[in-house]
Amino acid sequence: MNVTDLPILSLITFVPLVGAIVLAFVPGDRKAAIRWTALGFALASWVLSLLLLVGFAPAHPGFQYTEALDWIPAFGIQYKLGVDGISLVLVVLTTTLSWISILASFAPIQERVKEYMISFLVLEVGMLGVFLALDLFLFYIFWEIVLVPMYLIIGIWGGANRIYATIKFVLYTLVGSLLMLVAILASAFAFQVAHGGSWAGAFDYEQLAAFAAHGGFATDLQLFAFLAFFLAFAIKVPMFPFHTWLPDAHTEAPTAGSVILAGVLLKLGGYGLIRFAVPLFPSAAQTFGPAIVVLSLIAIIYGAIVSIVQPDLKRLIAYSSVSHMGFVTLGIFIFQPQALQGAILQMVNHGLITGALFLCVGVIYERTHDRTIAKMGGLSALTPVWAATFGFFILASVGLPGLSGFVGEFLVFVGTFAASPAAAVVATFVMILSATYLLWMFQRVAFGEVSDFLHGLGHHLFDMRPIEVATLVPLGTLVVVFGLFPGLILDLIGGPARAMMDGVHAATAVNLLFWQ
Amino acid sequence: MAWADLTTIAPIAVAVLVAAAILVVDIVLPGRRGPAIATALVGLAVVALVILAVGRTPATAFGGAYSADDLTTFLDILFVCIAALTILFAPDYLEPRDLPVAEFAAVLVFAVTGAMLIAAATDLVVLFVALELMVLPGYLLVAFAKRDAYATEGAIKYFLLGSFSSAIFLFGLAFTWGLTGTTRIAEVAAQLSRLASGGGISAGLAMGLALMTTGVAFKMAAVPFHYWTPDAYQGSPTPVTGYLSVGPKVGAFAIALRLFVGALDPLRADWLPVVIVLAAITMTLGNLVAITQDNVKRMLAYSSIAHTGYILVGLAAFGGGQQLGIQGLLFYAAAYTFMNLGAFAVVTALQRRPGVTSQLTTFAGLGRREPLLGVLMTLFLLSLTGIPPLAGFFAKAYVILAAVQAGGWLTVLAVIAVLNAAAAAFYYLRVVVYMYMREPAEEALPSGQSGLFRIGLAVTAVVTVVLGLVPGVLTVVQQAARALHS
Repeated sequence: MNVTDLPILSLITFVPLVGAIVLAFVPGDRKAAIRWTALGFALASWVLSLLLLVGFAPAHPGFQYTEALDWIPAFGIQYKLGVDGISLVLVVLTTTLSWISILASFAPIQERVKEYMISFLVLEVGMLGVFLALDLFLFYIFWEIVLVPMYLIIGIWGGANRIYATIKFVLYTLVGSLLMLVAILASAFAFQVAHGGSWAGAFDYEQLAAFAAHGGFATDLQLFAFLAFFLAFAIKVPMFPFHTWLPDAHTEAPTAGSVILAGVLLKLGGYGLIRFAVPLFPSAAQTFGPAIVVLSLIAIIYGAIVSIVQPDLKRLIAYSSVSHMGFVTLGIFIFQPQALQGAILQMVNHGLITGALFLCVGVIYERTHDRTIAKMGGLSALTPVWAATFGFFILASVGLPGLSGFVGEFLVFVGTFAASPAAAVVATFVMILSATYLLWMFQRVAFGEVSDFLHGLGHHLFDMRPIEVATLVPLGTLVVVFGLFPGLILDLIGGPARAMMDGVHAATAVNLLFWQ
Repeated sequence: MAWADLTTIAPIAVAVLVAAAILVVDIVLPGRRGPAIATALVGLAVVALVILAVGRTPATAFGGAYSADDLTTFLDILFVCIAALTILFAPDYLEPRDLPVAEFAAVLVFAVTGAMLIAAATDLVVLFVALELMVLPGYLLVAFAKRDAYATEGAIKYFLLGSFSSAIFLFGLAFTWGLTGTTRIAEVAAQLSRLASGGGISAGLAMGLALMTTGVAFKMAAVPFHYWTPDAYQGSPTPVTGYLSVGPKVGAFAIALRLFVGALDPLRADWLPVVIVLAAITMTLGNLVAITQDNVKRMLAYSSIAHTGYILVGLAAFGGGQQLGIQGLLFYAAAYTFMNLGAFAVVTALQRRPGVTSQLTTFAGLGRREPLLGVLMTLFLLSLTGIPPLAGFFAKAYVILAAVQAGGWLTVLAVIAVLNAAAAAFYYLRVVVYMYMREPAEEALPSGQSGLFRIGLAVTAVVTVVLGLVPGVLTVVQQAARALHS
């Protein structure tokens, strides 16, 4: 039987849900069985996503492996999934980070293991669904499903201030996404009116995008709907000034929660901007583009400056995420094909590198129960393997050429320079800043005299365990591979990225014609 | 009176017989709850079958005063579900407190009979009588724990304000009758469209409209006519609170459908702004006050006010010209019924042991103590918040879609509604915080539930999960909404 005969996208998405249901029936005290079952289902989803990667035809335009079923025909709502190059790389990123996170939770999570693993698997379903849904209503459902397990993961298994952090996370996200719901319904209604009152296809992404590309949505609807979509996604990215939930959520979340938060959840925002906000409301996107570019530049600089003074390892990485994700939004809203490709690449790389950085911090936190930079020092002498690994990912995050972090940012620079040299200069300046705060942090943690605090820990402070190495090796490998062969990803995303930019520029042309 | 009239009103007649039968069973077999509950449940099942059988052929009875159409069928079935679920939940609360289960069930079935009559009323007088039939047993239910000071206080408030609002409502009906010379809803509508055709309405008509709106707003607990709600809700035995939060509320919306959509349709332009403002302040105030509550029962009482606001969005969307608004209203009413009854059922379960309060602290650590109750409560609360793919989400999406379609000020109302939904997440999720993220203050004893109670919980949970996912529900809702304009 051929792979293409299977509803492979549904399988990838719902295999973790099957895992969650199976786990519900396993007695809670059989922790080992629960852990391995969860890992097994996450790995199954990962293997399926790799099969998809192999079977995917990059040259083929549009969506592949599409599955469509009527769900609520009265309103033209479908169960429709499909994959293109952009969603494909993010799906594989999600399945990869999911099993790594579950593996990384084996030792740290000892309480309520069953609930934790169920939450994690449901979270994976929601994230995969967001990347694969081609019906706006379905997309919204997956988008909101992500919220609940993450709320539980931070709130139950998080640090001391976890309840404050998790409620802040939920409320921020909910305000944005509910306004997006109004915008989705309004767009679908506009489509329905334009099609003689027929709801058929009113929530279908492909039809809506085609409709939008021909200037289908009226200008005032576009402005309102774009702002609603943008707010939902900007909160998730998070863009300055909607980022304040992120440092709290990151700091309080358990290690694996931080990994998924940084690795995938932030990408939901970036993906939403690329997939929905810009193609559906192209002229509004262009109207607000310059303002968003300015916000992105502020995020890039602000995140970097605030990172310098952070006393807490996790908080520092959280703020660095604000800075790094600023490159993503910059790359999208500068409206240049290279910059958009760079933005997508940056999303993947940030997911891999920041995920790995959080894993490294988790390793040390588990031994020291502290993340204060000032209490560390001389870790390279005590735990050389850990220090080398951490240093490697720090260099990747700084953007060392040859490692993957460099390529994405470089492409964003190139694209930005073509459109606005001033913006490119400002963004480049931040490369220096990011080297400052990351390397300085690494120096304080890894080199110098062994601190009294670490001395006092004695044999409690041991180097990485095999299972911890196992979680970091795949990420490190990918960072090197994508650093040397960025074409592996660029080949996949090049087509859709160019098509999207053509769409934006074409829509603007149509609108200009209307204005004349 | 023709024989055909009797078959048309068979659901009401059978429901009255069921209530009487419960009392008879209680007299014959005193002191045993089993037979009475069995009579009630079997009886309600029979009522449901009769409703479905009668509903197959839409008909009117008594010269057009009573209408058995798809809307009647839909609402009647909903009311029967409310009664059956309340009877499943109540014994676990009443028995430990030595409160009579059989009388409770009988009074409840009488109340629901009134609600069913509202759903079918196409005459102003029948509508009023039906309303009183529904609320009078309600006063009894609130005062059911007659030695409890809170219950007495709540019952007196409920009774006084309820009678007051009934009088206001009746006064409004009288004005309408005086100006149109008829009490049949279809004829009232025809007369009103003649009266309003000259643009602008007379002062008398405006007075009548204002009084009727006020009366209905009281009954559905819309702000600023909601003051009786928190005390009546908190004082009542918890299963009664659950019933009050859905039964009379859906009943009040049934009045709104028959009256505003049926009779007052020609005056749409006059009542639409009022309904929009009522909806906006009802949900906003309900939510703001709910946020400050430390008592879950009281919190749910205020949150039910907020839900009144969301349901009113559906009515407003209809006023704005979208028939979809009625569908949204009906769907919301159904979804709200099951999720809210479910949430109250969990509170009831925890309060099985007399003396247990409904404070937030009662819920501390529930997720660990009683995983199943914790999961179910989380489910109901998430649905009330409006998180997909649960019923509450589809309900909100439905009314918001209708409002967005109507456009103009209703789009603003839709935005107010979603911002409210986000604010509501705060207090709903706070209960989840207590259940999963805090440890219990002292060792709480397991609550334990009877088999019937578990069945009720399972039903509410399953409906909360599947109501939006099953496409067939939509067809039923559309048919029911269409009945108003056939």
